[in-house]
Amino acid sequence: MNNAEQIKETIARIFPDVETVICYQQGFDGLHATPYFISIPEQVNKLIWNPLCAQNLTSYLPSIKKKVGIVVKGCDSRTIIQYLQEGLIDRAKVVIIGVPCTGVISVKKVLREIGHQPVVDVVFDDNGNIVVKTQKGEKRLAIADVCPDKCTTCQYPTPLVYDHLIGEPIASNKPKEDVYKDIREFDAKTLEEKRAYWEKEFERCIRCYACRNACPMCICQDSCIAETREPHWISQRLSLQEKFMFHMIHAAHLAGRCVECGECERVCPMDIPVAKLKKKINAEMKELFNYETGVNPDDKPPMYTFNVDEAKIKEHKL
Amino acid sequence: MSDTGYLPKEKIKDFLKELAKDAVVYAPCLEGDIVLFRPFSEERTLCLDRPANTPPKSVIYPQSETLFAFQYKKAPEDHQKMSVELKADIGVPNMVIFGARPCDAKGFRIYDRVFIETNTPDPYYRKRRENTLIVTLSCAAPSPGCFCVAVGGGPAHKEGSDVMMTELEGGYVIEPVTEKGRAILGKHVIEDGKPYLKDAQHVQAKAHDEVRNPFAPDELPKISQSLFNFDGFWEQVVGKCVSCGACTYLCPTCYCFNITDEQGIGSGERVRSWDACMFFHFTLEASGHNPRPTKFQRFKNRVGHKFIYYPEKYEGVIACCGCGRCIRYCPVNVDISEIVNYLKDTHQELHWASSRKEGTQPTVGSTKDE
Amino acid sequence: MSNIKNPYLPELATVLRVIEETPNIKSYHVVFNDPELMKSFRFEPGQVGQLSVFGVGESTFVINSPPTRMEYLQFSVMKAGEVTAAIHNLYPGDQVGIRAPLGNWFPYEQMKGRNILFIGGGIGLAPLRTLILFMLDNRADYKDITIIYGSRTPPDLCYKDELKEWEERSDVNLILTVDNEYPGWNKRTGFVPTVLKEVAPAPDNTVAITCGPPIMIKFVLEGLAQLKFKDEDIITTLEKRMKCGIGICGRCNIGSKYVCKDGPVFSLAQLKEMPDEV
Repeated sequence: MNNAEQIKETIARIFPDVETVICYQQGFDGLHATPYFISIPEQVNKLIWNPLCAQNLTSYLPSIKKKVGIVVKGCDSRTIIQYLQEGLIDRAKVVIIGVPCTGVISVKKVLREIGHQPVVDVVFDDNGNIVVKTQKGEKRLAIADVCPDKCTTCQYPTPLVYDHLIGEPIASNKPKEDVYKDIREFDAKTLEEKRAYWEKEFERCIRCYACRNACPMCICQDSCIAETREPHWISQRLSLQEKFMFHMIHAAHLAGRCVECGECERVCPMDIPVAKLKKKINAEMKELFNYETGVNPDDKPPMYTFNVDEAKIKEHKL
Repeated sequence: MSDTGYLPKEKIKDFLKELAKDAVVYAPCLEGDIVLFRPFSEERTLCLDRPANTPPKSVIYPQSETLFAFQYKKAPEDHQKMSVELKADIGVPNMVIFGARPCDAKGFRIYDRVFIETNTPDPYYRKRRENTLIVTLSCAAPSPGCFCVAVGGGPAHKEGSDVMMTELEGGYVIEPVTEKGRAILGKHVIEDGKPYLKDAQHVQAKAHDEVRNPFAPDELPKISQSLFNFDGFWEQVVGKCVSCGACTYLCPTCYCFNITDEQGIGSGERVRSWDACMFFHFTLEASGHNPRPTKFQRFKNRVGHKFIYYPEKYEGVIACCGCGRCIRYCPVNVDISEIVNYLKDTHQELHWASSRKEGTQPTVGSTKDE
Repeated sequence: MSNIKNPYLPELATVLRVIEETPNIKSYHVVFNDPELMKSFRFEPGQVGQLSVFGVGESTFVINSPPTRMEYLQFSVMKAGEVTAAIHNLYPGDQVGIRAPLGNWFPYEQMKGRNILFIGGGIGLAPLRTLILFMLDNRADYKDITIIYGSRTPPDLCYKDELKEWEERSDVNLILTVDNEYPGWNKRTGFVPTVLKEVAPAPDNTVAITCGPPIMIKFVLEGLAQLKFKDEDIITTLEKRMKCGIGICGRCNIGSKYVCKDGPVFSLAQLKEMPDEV
């Protein structure tokens, strides 16, 4: 029995203990999966499970009050742990169906490979490839070549927290020291180069706030300073300065909280590498506090605590 | 002079340069992996083989613009008092939008009715609209998610365009749509297009047949009011919406805006900027009351605006041009064509109503494989 | 191009006088800086204006002085958000901007020869005041005028001097109420909808016009229905967050109706045709 069948069977079993189960179904075309909210067991037949199921569904959890089941991958499970650290969800009200994951697909990367053609059909072969059919022919792509960047250094392919595990746990085969390799490389650039890089990227921002709204850890919700007049920190002008300000505040608010799920970057319609900013801050958090987000429910985010004597912050030493 | 022109592919840059002599030419340019309308220059890479990620609406209706500047000054007669000076400047250069798609151009017609064809025309929009020539490229093939033929448009629909170009192997056939567009035929890189017109029409007809129509063919969708007003329907179909502004900001027909004062010391500007009906803040009142506090109500308003309210005001015209951008770029794949399809189908209505009675939730997506 | 009026550009105006109506409501007498405009300016009772404090923003208020008294325009402002807070900091001589008149008005022509019932709560008396004063200035055109007005406490009643005047007039029936007993208050107590039930005005040849907090309006509408008022004889005026004031920007719409342009005045019959997003 494959994973999809096992997930279906598990979901059928957890009803009626839960009122809703959040999983995936086919989106508007063969290249897209979309969240699927199941409220009666019979709906389960439309569930899909394949590497297109990239979205971090846990973002919906804090706003759902009833008892809910949810399908999570290893990376998604870190969000749940972070929620637990911050008291944003009630563990007793979530039934977690964990699915070990060997890597998902970045639709943006596939579209680049197929020249943004409409897809006619998509299939997955047994050798870790996605085969995309368009009017202009067929393209076979290794999933490893079209996965989101986060998959290339994934440390937690198996969910860190779950109630039901589908299939066998998978151990990571990616070196831990590579996780922030891209950040270290970027850090090597000069200040001017970095500035020029971000100016070029943020210039495209249309302030649609998809990155913010898709972010599981953005909890200010409807009180975000991007739109409030009190405080009036950001104007509604479309200047680079305002865009910069918004993205910096977004990143700063996620210091020691970002679970690196990459949703902000996945959803950006303007293709801005916004996750990189947050990853940079996480690299600093790791360095300063030896803290990794979303791995231990008993941890406290460093910015939620205060020690007069921080071991690695010199300024605090009086 | 012939009524049809022809632009050989190798002369396209010369053509753009000629246009740029007396206008700012906005053309779809490749930036990384995406295509954006940018003021064209030699260094840019023109990309005409797929619609731009964003429509060219910001050329005529900028995402943010100054309505007027204000300055406080000490009143000459009484230095205890301040006087205010207002300055509105609506200077706009001549502009060309080159390579818009027919859906993009049709979007401007949706705006014209609201911004110009009213007793209080909007001088900012109007001036830009008047100063802009729209040179549209017909679509040779559909793009993911698009459905123009279902909402009164088509891959070579001419409404809103000044010129329609159709791509053939060696060049573009150029058909003027308006008087303003006719001047294009006088540009000296333009050749006689008459011999190619039949081929162009063939390309257009073929493309028309390829675009999907999610609704009943040959008629515009009619929305069932009872289902539209059933909250449970919206809760089910847009439960996954994250309430961001991607759909509205990428939409060639969305035009809601905000007006804010952005101040310096003693002076500042009143700024008009795009706003999105998907945002909680959009309708939030100072008292804390919000007439559309949930994403369901906000999404319902968006669909209502396009498929019910606007048609009610403007002789049945649907304020959606079917470009498919809101579907393609939605973070969570909300599909407006699927939602409207549910809303128009009376069978669906029965389906939803009966599931409501039984206290169960109907299956979203049920039309997909049935 | 230049001869087209820019609908976003306010006319400059000066605050003449500030009146403290209640602990959180102030009224402003405002005149346009251009005397010619002050002379030629026309509006109808119930129409609104956008009042600007440059640097803070604009907010919508009904012009609550009647068109029959044009020495100044009066706006009454309850302190609630950023703009209203800025308006509360204005003093005589300060500069503001006005975009007016906007929206529709009370159908006073159709009310001629009929009994008029005003039901107001708190600052909701402001739009009614325009029409009350207009009708008093054209008193012969209307039959009985009844005003039911209430607020939380006696200090919260607006337009106290005028309330006194109306109370003394024999051709106006003014019924005042406050929510609870209050030292020195010897008139009615109770919520406006309750008082409406007690007074039980007859619906015959009567038009009811109501404005107040949303919850009051809700129960007043129910009360009027119980008293057998017809939907088309019940008029209310709505408040919404507005920006452009000319039916474009999209935030004040209820279905296809824009409160700033198609409203703010609607009959209950019209409201019933619209989505429930008040």
